[in-house]
Amino acid sequence: MDITPNFVDLNVLNVTYLLVVGFIGGLVSGFIGSGGAFVLTPAMMSMGVPGIIAVASNICHKFPKALVGAIKRAKYGQVDVKLGLVVGLSAEAGVLYGAHIQESIKRTFGDAGSNLYVSVAFVIVLAIVGTYVLWDALRLRHSGHNTEEKVARLARWVQSVHIPGTMVYFKSIGTRVSVLFTIPLGFATGMLAATIAVGGFIGVPGMHYILGAPSLMASATELVVAFVMGLGGTIKYAWGGLVDIRLAMIILAGSLFGVQLGAIGTTYVKPHMIKFVMGVIMVMVLLSRAIIIPVYLAELDLIAKLDPDLASGLKNVSFVVLLAALATGATIIFTALWRGMRIHRAELVMAGATGGVSPAAVVVVPARAQLSPIGRFERFLVASDGSEYAAGAEREALNMAKKCGAQVRVINVIAAENTELDSMGEPLLARELSAARAHLDKVARQAAASNVACETEVIQASEIFQEIVNQAANMQADLIIMGRRSRHGLARLMLGDVTARVIGHAHCSVLVIPRAAEISGRHFIIASDGSRFGDTAAATAGKLALLCKTPTTVVSVTSPSHSEQRREEARQAINRITSFLALEGVSADSKLLEGRADEKIVEAANAKGADLIVVGSHGRTGLERVLLGTVTERVLNLTPCAVLVVRST
Amino acid sequence: MPNTVVAHRGKQFTKMLAYGLASLALYFILYFFEDEILAFSSRGRWYFIVPVAAAFIFSLAHGNFTSQFWDMLGIKAKK
Repeated sequence: MDITPNFVDLNVLNVTYLLVVGFIGGLVSGFIGSGGAFVLTPAMMSMGVPGIIAVASNICHKFPKALVGAIKRAKYGQVDVKLGLVVGLSAEAGVLYGAHIQESIKRTFGDAGSNLYVSVAFVIVLAIVGTYVLWDALRLRHSGHNTEEKVARLARWVQSVHIPGTMVYFKSIGTRVSVLFTIPLGFATGMLAATIAVGGFIGVPGMHYILGAPSLMASATELVVAFVMGLGGTIKYAWGGLVDIRLAMIILAGSLFGVQLGAIGTTYVKPHMIKFVMGVIMVMVLLSRAIIIPVYLAELDLIAKLDPDLASGLKNVSFVVLLAALATGATIIFTALWRGMRIHRAELVMAGATGGVSPAAVVVVPARAQLSPIGRFERFLVASDGSEYAAGAEREALNMAKKCGAQVRVINVIAAENTELDSMGEPLLARELSAARAHLDKVARQAAASNVACETEVIQASEIFQEIVNQAANMQADLIIMGRRSRHGLARLMLGDVTARVIGHAHCSVLVIPRAAEISGRHFIIASDGSRFGDTAAATAGKLALLCKTPTTVVSVTSPSHSEQRREEARQAINRITSFLALEGVSADSKLLEGRADEKIVEAANAKGADLIVVGSHGRTGLERVLLGTVTERVLNLTPCAVLVVRST
Repeated sequence: MPNTVVAHRGKQFTKMLAYGLASLALYFILYFFEDEILAFSSRGRWYFIVPVAAAFIFSLAHGNFTSQFWDMLGIKAKK
């Protein structure tokens, strides 16, 4: 058979070279989502591989590498698959158009014209985007707020634009965004990928600064985009028989070691490090391409001819700067990973010394402080008093954490000014603390057996509910899980109820689980009053229902005294939520009921055999709550099943 | 508890070894049948499936191996 392409012979030196460059490229890709492959095409060409085969083989190693990296980072909850697919598919169109432009330029102006076009594209894009990314990373670093990532003004505007029929919900952004923004972004990413082989230099900053995704998630989601683009590109080149499978698989051997390490590295660094590495690489690549522009200008006779030695020297310097860009990025990543691991180990040792840490892992405050996105279930705070009333909360918290891959912190808050204990002296307090510690150790062992990351702590505080709320805020919990002691009427008014007060004051959602309740995923009831509180509850319940594959019923209750207009609004609200859930892939029906809201919600839950009621919280506290009570609180007192009170942020 | 940890590490090592051997076998096949595979994969048209399928198979075996490899060395994600 006649094989048209000219495949090179491989020797040990070539193979080692490709393995090393592949490893470093993979490391950078795993960390910033892209940018590791641009050096591979010139590296292969320097071995004598024809340009087109170098491009084809590079892209053939890129898509499996991106796939492995995306799977790894998805395990850390950093990937938004939907956003990746939407941007990736539009990027495919951009790749085709970009390649078409490249071919036209090459036909008209020859190789030098094509090279000049690529270099100018590099310089313009990297000068604008690269310097901005680097400036932003340095600004965050020096401002002292290097753990905070604010949504850019442009992204806030994009998120505020509502174009009917085009809105799609993306979990990384935490809201709906029109695809009329994501499609051009994907197209530009694809065009850049076809031109300079690194679409991520537009894709990652675009998803972060234009759409408002956190930089960590944008870089992880870019791996999905790279996979989609890479697969399409591989099919295109392999259709022409241009892929050298040996080269692709050798680079892959090195790059998969790198991509895994880069992905692990992202869990140890602050978000500005992603931007910093990306910015540094982009600016250095910009320098590399700027150095070579005079050579192409001379070849096109746009400037005076250059001395051949000078031209060759400039090309060599340009390639060395390109390699240095990758090496610098890799060095920063290695340093950050090493430093992060050292600090983390020290934290583990310290935590171990204070006791109460399960062997699975510890719950740590995330690197970036941000509001909990709707429906995120990554960090749970379980408030237990060690009694039978908390047993359901502990059990279901571990079950849920296992399902969601969440980390759990279990605390037992003992009143510091307990007059009963004070009067009986130190021994009783010590006994109470020791009993609480023993109970939490038991919970930690159960968590370890279930392979759930869990830490436990006994805390003394003067105000129990306030301590629970503070603890949740400190660890940026997505959910507080606690049991319920039933108190009604006067007892509730006089003694107060820790659970109710936590619900009133918490900045995150609260899951209340009665002793015998079990969330097995039979049916969820979502109560909506048509307000934004109900909408938030629905969005969160949708996430949970999807996770547990549970059917849902959206319930809205009107009073006989309500006007027809109010009823119509309620009807529209439940229809809106049902459609939203259906779009999210959750089986949902709806019920518009009339009567007392708390009673009707509980009746609907009983009729469906539901194991969870989801309600929105108005966050009433103080006198208003005491006088009026809340539907939520009355539901809590009436129902035997678990209640998730979703807090609107 | 230490027994559980030892058992877990043993299981992890077995997994790493299995994926490592699978990956090694794939690269040996690629090395020993270099010419045949290259000729087959570069026929073009519908034979595009060969390099695409190879990439998926290699990434499955080698990707799992590299993941277990860093894990065994104690380089794990921060939880």
